[in-house]
Amino acid sequence: MSSKRAPYSANIFVSFPHTTLMLVIFIRTLIIFLVLVVVMRLMGKRQIGEMQPFEFIITLIIADLACIPMADLSIPLIYGVAAVLALFLLHQLFTLIEQSGRIPKKILSGTPSVVINKNGIDLNELKKNNMGVEDLIESMRSQGYFSLDDLDYAIFESNGKLSALESAERNSESSSMPILIVNNGKLLGKNLKVLQDGEEKLKTFLAQNGATLKKTEALTVDGNGRAYLKKKNEKFRILYYPLNEKVQW
Amino acid sequence: MVKSIISMIAVALILTFGVVFETTFIKDEFKGLKEETAILYDKIEAETANDNDVYVLQTKWVNAKEKLHAFISHNEIKEFDLWIAETVKYVAEKNWNEALTKMEVIMELIEQVPKTFEFSFANVF
Repeated sequence: MSSKRAPYSANIFVSFPHTTLMLVIFIRTLIIFLVLVVVMRLMGKRQIGEMQPFEFIITLIIADLACIPMADLSIPLIYGVAAVLALFLLHQLFTLIEQSGRIPKKILSGTPSVVINKNGIDLNELKKNNMGVEDLIESMRSQGYFSLDDLDYAIFESNGKLSALESAERNSESSSMPILIVNNGKLLGKNLKVLQDGEEKLKTFLAQNGATLKKTEALTVDGNGRAYLKKKNEKFRILYYPLNEKVQW
Repeated sequence: MVKSIISMIAVALILTFGVVFETTFIKDEFKGLKEETAILYDKIEAETANDNDVYVLQTKWVNAKEKLHAFISHNEIKEFDLWIAETVKYVAEKNWNEALTKMEVIMELIEQVPKTFEFSFANVF
């Protein structure tokens, strides 16, 4: 064709016609990385586990936003940078609002929940946080506490971490792990099998202690027969559950 | 607290400046392209257009897109590239009907693309 053509490049990066795409990706990644380092540095020193809910959301979104323009060369880098800066602005704004008083802090970050007190576990507080006794036991285990009566107080902080105040009567020499037999009025059949006992024996045990399945918020039994029984609206009790001789764990 | 407020103001200013600059820049670039396209369209309609006329538009577009890459999706830029390239071909062949069709698409793109940068209900949602 004889027609005149303007200086034309098939490469979309007209200003750098000799660069390779890999180099372009490297430079884009470098720019996004530097922007993120500055933004994250300005956001503060909190670790993932210590973040308030809105901070956690912002961090998740930022990670995703940063990836898109890095990998997709058809998207101008400025889209990603503008979104990251907007999120930074929101973060600072929310932090200021959160620090301005108790009510904004309660709305934005929630309040700590006392899930174990002197009376034992507080099922209502657990429910408010969409948690159950099993979740509480799991969190306690990660802190090195295996029995529900090991703690006088346990508090789920607003960032989701469990803070614990150890009971003065804690038996740290116990070598048997308690297992949850009754969880909020429901019998955990699989765990009951470990005891090698039937439902009837368990119900008799509960009846002897003035409880029914429905009224029991939590019952744990360890390998030595030490049982933690928490009835609704009552203080927990430590009892002895008569284990079969062959049972060991 | 002071550091937070200062950083917030600084970022807010950067974003505000960015919004104003982007809006003005894109509007200006497309305004120039619109004028050039209208001239070429008239010439094609009058069947008097030649290689040089298309070359002027193409050069203007190539210069503009070097900067527009920073703001516009590169796929949209590719669309312009393709339609202008087809116009070049049809004008060289003096296939005026086809050239006019391509020019209409280019004019529509020039009209619509800046609208995707406007602050509007459609763009926000």
